[in-house]
This record gives sequence, structure tokens and C-alpha cells, in this order.
Amino acid sequence: MSIPFQLNGRPVSFDGPEDTPLLWVVREHFGLTGSKFGCGIGMCGACTMHVDGAASRTCVLAVGNVRGRAIRTIEGVAADADNAVRKAWNDLDVPQCGYCQSGMIMTATAMLADTPAPTDQDIDRWMTNLCRCATYVRIRQAIHAAARSLKS
Amino acid sequence: MKGLTRSGAPSIGRRRFLEVAAAFGALLAVPLDPTVAAEGGTDADIELTDWIFIDAQGGVTLGLCQPEVGQGSYTALPAILADELDADWPAVKVRWVMGRDAYKLQFRNEKPSQKEGASTSTTKFYARLRVAGAAARDVLVRAAAARWQVPVSDCATESGMVRNIRTGAALPYGALAAEAARLPLSPTPRLKTPAEFRLIGKALPRRDTAAKTDGSAKYGLDAEVPGMLNAAIALSPTIGGWLVRINNEAEIRQQPGVRAIVRLDDGVIVVADRFWQALRAVQMLDATFSPGENGALSTELIDRLADSGLDAEIGVTALARGDAPRILGQNPDQVIESRFSVPHLAHAAMEPMNATVHVQPDRVDVWGSIQSTDASVAVISKISGVPEDKVHLHIGFLGGSFGGKIAPDFVAQAVRAAMAVGRPVKLIRTREMDIQHDHFRPNNKGRLRAVVDKDGYPIAVHARVCGQSLFATTRPNWLTRTPLGDYDESMVDGIYNQSYKIPNFHVDVIQTPLPIPVYFMRSVGSSAGVLFWESFITDLAHKAGIDQYHYRRHLLRNNPAALKVLDAVAAAASWDTPPPPGRARGISFDTYHGRGGSFVTHVAEIVELVRKGDSWRVARVFCAIDAGLVVNHNTFVAQIQGGIGFSLTSALKSEITFNRGGAEQSNFTDYPLLSIGEMPDVVPIIVESDRPPQGVGEIMVAPLAPAISQALLQATGRRPDRMPFRPDVFKVTA
Repeated sequence: MSIPFQLNGRPVSFDGPEDTPLLWVVREHFGLTGSKFGCGIGMCGACTMHVDGAASRTCVLAVGNVRGRAIRTIEGVAADADNAVRKAWNDLDVPQCGYCQSGMIMTATAMLADTPAPTDQDIDRWMTNLCRCATYVRIRQAIHAAARSLKS
Repeated sequence: MKGLTRSGAPSIGRRRFLEVAAAFGALLAVPLDPTVAAEGGTDADIELTDWIFIDAQGGVTLGLCQPEVGQGSYTALPAILADELDADWPAVKVRWVMGRDAYKLQFRNEKPSQKEGASTSTTKFYARLRVAGAAARDVLVRAAAARWQVPVSDCATESGMVRNIRTGAALPYGALAAEAARLPLSPTPRLKTPAEFRLIGKALPRRDTAAKTDGSAKYGLDAEVPGMLNAAIALSPTIGGWLVRINNEAEIRQQPGVRAIVRLDDGVIVVADRFWQALRAVQMLDATFSPGENGALSTELIDRLADSGLDAEIGVTALARGDAPRILGQNPDQVIESRFSVPHLAHAAMEPMNATVHVQPDRVDVWGSIQSTDASVAVISKISGVPEDKVHLHIGFLGGSFGGKIAPDFVAQAVRAAMAVGRPVKLIRTREMDIQHDHFRPNNKGRLRAVVDKDGYPIAVHARVCGQSLFATTRPNWLTRTPLGDYDESMVDGIYNQSYKIPNFHVDVIQTPLPIPVYFMRSVGSSAGVLFWESFITDLAHKAGIDQYHYRRHLLRNNPAALKVLDAVAAAASWDTPPPPGRARGISFDTYHGRGGSFVTHVAEIVELVRKGDSWRVARVFCAIDAGLVVNHNTFVAQIQGGIGFSLTSALKSEITFNRGGAEQSNFTDYPLLSIGEMPDVVPIIVESDRPPQGVGEIMVAPLAPAISQALLQATGRRPDRMPFRPDVFKVTA
């Protein structure tokens, strides 16, 4: 009952129950702890990863549903040194406690792939991740900065 | 792992453990320096003061004793040391240190201990770190002078080196450390003048940003110890309730990965190989709890208690200036009265409470998101029976805290689980457990009454606050004794110590004891007190028909430091130019007095509402702060931006209600947080002053809600008097 999928470009497979949330498969079985547990109900977005490029809340996504798909985590994004979103986040010193920021960066990256020049309204609609430190001012600035650098 | 029984697991040998500890490192140090050991460093390190460690290769490591919860301690505090030391800032490493007197502080009159809170880290450690850095620099210079046989005045320092200003020769600190360590430290080394600062007072990039954007920053949640099991917990739904029985124990034991069921007086911990296995098993748990004594506790009851206190004949006097009760009593027809109410709140940090515990006969190691170091050590020692000096905390980055990770109950639960199974255990609270079993910000109600002069300014004010006491529950020796009983000054913080000129002023307090666990939460009592006080001032100015800013100016006329901040925010927002149609504004002021008189910070805010459709929304917030010298402008501005958002969450959304003895809210569905679309623009205004650094982290929180309520009064003609301000009070009125 092995479930094969790609994790940051590498083929992997998980031997275990299909209903195990992807978040815990990635954290506990594959040891990638950049994705966080925040609410367990898919609401806060701290667990966001890309599934075939789409931002997905993985604390409520059964691993059985990602069979054969390409999963990308924050570690995968960080492996690309030129990643514009991460660079903007660093330039603006967005994180405070930082716990939600992996999920924020994953959602912002997916948004910019879909909507390369987002308006503030686009940002409000896409960025439903929660940040208790309320780093939202700099998140918005960083998204606009990343969009500008991707354009040029 | 195979073949281990629940309780008979062999302990991991100490040697093996230390290898692990070294590999895991201090959580904090991992992203920047994976080789630094958990604490104390290596034997090869040469120590200059309690804070500065230099290795043979010349690498400088600075000690950090204040947890990084997001506020920027990981950058600002080492920068103070590095500046006086003239260290090579980009090259220095930072590691977690604990266990020495130098790392301890007092918020008030309690025994000194190592902990973070009360906006005091920079205030309390500024002088200590400067002296430490300067004393270390001084012995390095003397060592170099001796080596070169030149006077000390021929030596200068820069970027981790001593330079001979005559010959141009240079020696790195690493080459001098051994000799320097043999020289006596000066208790009064020469400190830099502000003009000489290279780091202090600048906008420094955070040292932890890169690790927080590539997934490598290690939080308590990410702790990994060989042989570790994972645990989830279910606690009594009723406060003070206890576990009677588990009805499906056999079924739970058979679940995949389950290793043990640990009974607590008030809950059940399921220990499994993986956390998701423990979580699933806990979700299947069918346990019977006795509600205990508090089964009837409800918000309705809590409100009724507080209301009856507001109207009680007398309270415990916190302040009596002049004779306000007599003046109010003689002029009953002229009394202006307002009442206010704030609920209990949960901290709801993004990282749920968690701790990883490894108990061995001769030591206990704990990894976790812990804000109060020494209090946790005491609890761990008590439960495990291992002496306090054999308890080792490894504190990584905290995924937020806001005061929530001070109470060490979650640590105690993890210790019990680890002892029960004889193996390291990581216990993670689910969001539901984190919110429902938080130690809450207490409720409060206020009744304020005044008689004003012919111009509308207060002659006499009586402020009464009633609610659950934070100190009575958590710090009984912080209560203020009076002949009529004790009172909790945090309940009237922002009122009894407010800055306006009021000739006759009476403040009293009535506690309504409740069984609800409560704790400090960012801005503590002032989050209620400043709302009550500033909203009441709004009412008085409104009744007098005087502009809100100028009314406050008049009351602060003898307080130039306060006026400077109030004027700065008014100027930034162009207050004296009336807002265009579709906009409304509110202004508020507070002087925040640090716990035990540790600091004084002035703050003024202006909220701008914008009409959108049939509602008003908070669109922009101006925030001016005089917190003395600002050590790091970058994180100072971040604290203002984030603190406004944090406060807006409380103002618009947060409320813990109780029914049948327990909290009704349990996740972000019913305890929602602010979203990015609701975040206003924030305009920070730093009012420079030549005082040393004053508290910052909590200061911007309290004045926001009263500024909103005043803006709503202007926009809608109604001023809300109950937090949170629900959407209906933002509706545009005809």
C-alpha cells in the first residue's frame, strides 16, 4: 500500500494509511519541518504546500489524494536561490515570530504564478493565511516587490 | 524501537544524548551555526563576561538570554553587546544561554529569574549588555597593549580586531582572548558616546529572517530527539473538572502506533509513534469527566458578578486624590457616567503550545516554546524529582507567545507523559486544546463618573473597575495591601496612573474571584483600562463640544513629554484639517508605565475610518511613540505595525465566552484572527528622546480600541462600550 509522489522534485513513497494528512507525512516521515501545524482544520494556512503548483492546506489533505503528484514545500522553494518571493520577504524583513511565513510564502508564490501583477484586492482574496503577529503590512509590500522583480 | 514496552524503554545513554544535543544544537543557533552546542559552549571557548565567548579560531559568540518570540530580541540584544565590543557584527554568532544571575531580571518584587515579558528585555538589559561589551573590549585592548608593550591609548578597536594606531599592526580578538581572560574586568569600563554607536540606533536587518523564510528555523514543534514518541492531549472540558474514566481504553490501545495512555487528574494523554497517530486516537477517545465545582460557570454569571460589583457601595481604593466621592455625591444631577466591558481573551499564538521532554535519572532535557525559563525549570524539577541545576532547557524560536507560553502547564504535562513511558516525548496541543485551555486575559468592567467645570473639563472623577484579578490568581504577592483589602493594580493600569490633570480623582477596584485560569497577555490590564479611560475622556470632550485632540492637549498642558507625542501624531495625520466626507477619525493617548516602574513610554494614536458601502472600516492608523532611545528602528517599526494588527484582532473579533464551566471557543472558526484584507495602513512615528530605551512591545496595543470607538462616535453618532466591536457598530447610520 505504498503511495508514490514527488517531494521537491524527488520521487518518494509513503507506506502508511491513505488518510494520513500530507502535513504529517512530510514532517514526520520525510523530516521536512518548515511546514507548520497551526489549526488542523485547513484554516490558518501555516501548513500550505504546492500540489502540482496549487497552494494546498495539507493538514486536511489526505496523502492518498496526492498519489503521483508533485509536492513542493518551503524547503523546495528555498532550494531556488533566485526565488523572487523569498528574496522580497528577506529584503523587507517580513517575519516576526515567523511561524506562519512558510505558508505565506507558498501561497504568495502560487498567487504570483497565477496572477503575476496582483492588485491589493487580489492579495486580499488569495492571502487567506493567518498571522497572529500581524505582519500583513510587510507581506503586502513583499508581494508587490516580488511581482515587480518577476516582471523585470 | 521495536520490542520496547510502554514503560520499559531503555533510556538513551548520556553520551548518545549529548551527540544528539550537539547535532540539534540550541534550536536558535541551528540555522546560523549548527555546530554550537546547546548551552555553555565548548571547553575550548574563552569566556569574557557572562555574555561573550571566543573560540580558538577567533569566532565570537554572543549570549542571548531572552527568548525570541518575534519581537526581535535575537537581533537587538546581541547588537548592544556587539556595538560596545566592536565585534564584527556580520560574523558574530548568537546562542541561547541560561542559568546565571546575569541573565535574571525582576518585573517587580519577585525573586529574580530568567524570563521574557512585560516589554522589559531591552530596558532591563541595555545597561548590562553595554557594560559587558565594553568590559570585554577593555580587557582585549589591555591584552593587546601588553603584547605590543605600548600604552592602551595607542590601541583602537574595530570589527573584531585591536589595531595599533601607530604601527598599523592588528590582532584579531581570537588571538587575544586567552590573555584577556586572565585580566580583571573593569566594573565601570568606558562606554561609547551615542556618536560612536555603529549598531545601536540604526535600522538593523533581523538575524533570523533567512532561517524563517527557508523553513530551517527550528521551533519547539520541530524538536526531534532519537527514540522520541509523540503525544496528544485531551483535557477536561470543564475548568477544575477531573477524569473519571476512559470508556474505550482497549479500543484506543489498539489504534495504530499507540504506545501508552497516560491518565492525568484532569485529562488524558495518548502517546504514539507519530503525532498524527496520537491525534487520531485522542479524537476517538471517549472519556468521562466530572464537571467538579464549576459546572455552572457561564459568561452570563461572570457578567452579572461584574455588574453587581460596579454598583457596590464601596470598593478597595487604589487612588484617592482630593475628594471626588463628595463632589460627585453633592452634584448628582451633573454626573456624567459611562460603562464599559471587555471579555476574557485567548493568546492564540500561531504555534500551539508544545514541549519535548527527555527524563533521565540524572538530568532532564526539555525543548519547547517556553517564555518563562526559570518557572518551567522549577515545575520540571518538582515533577521529575531531578534537581533544578540538572534541568536543561533548549529554547528555540517561539511561534508567538504574547504571554501565553509563560504558564508552564503544557510543559508539566509533557514531563508526566515522558516519565510514564520512560522515553522522550513530544506533546503538542491541538489548536482546540491551545485555545480552550489557555490561561486567559481576564475580563473587566468599568464604571466611570465625572463632574465637569463650566468649560467641560473634569473637576472630579470616580473610576471603578470590577472583574477577575490577574495578580490574585497568578502573583498574590503583587497585590497592593490596603486597610480595606488588597487590590490588583493591573486592573486599573492606564487609569490610576493616567496623565491628565484631574484635581479630584478616586479609583477603586472590586475583584470578582473566578476559577478561570488567567495570565498576562500583551499590554495586560491596560488593554481594558486604557479603553475605559480614553473612551470616557472621549465622552467628556464630546459632551463639552470640544475637539478631541485639543481637549486632551488641555488636560496634558503641564506635561511636555506627553504633548510632544500627542502633537506628533496629530501633525502626521493633519488632525486640524477636518477629514473629507466618507472619512472619520479618533485620537487616543496613553503613558504606559512598565511593571514596577521599570519604564515610561508615551504613545498616541489616530485611527482613520473609511466608509465602504454600508459600513465603516479601519483604514489607517497613525502611531507615535516616545520610547527613549530606539535600539533597532527596523524591529521597532515592525512592532508598531504588528502590534496594531494584534490589537485590531482584539478590538474587532476576540471573545472567549464560558458555558457549562468551560470556554466555548476552540479554533479560528469561532476565535478568528485578523486577515490581511482587514489590516489597515500603519504610519509609525518615532518621537526621539534622549532617555535610555523604554518598553516597546506592548505599548501600541491599548490605545487602538478607544481611538476606534471615538472615530465611530464621529462617524455614526454612537460609541460602542463593549469589546469586541462587532460589525453592527460599524454600520453606516442614516
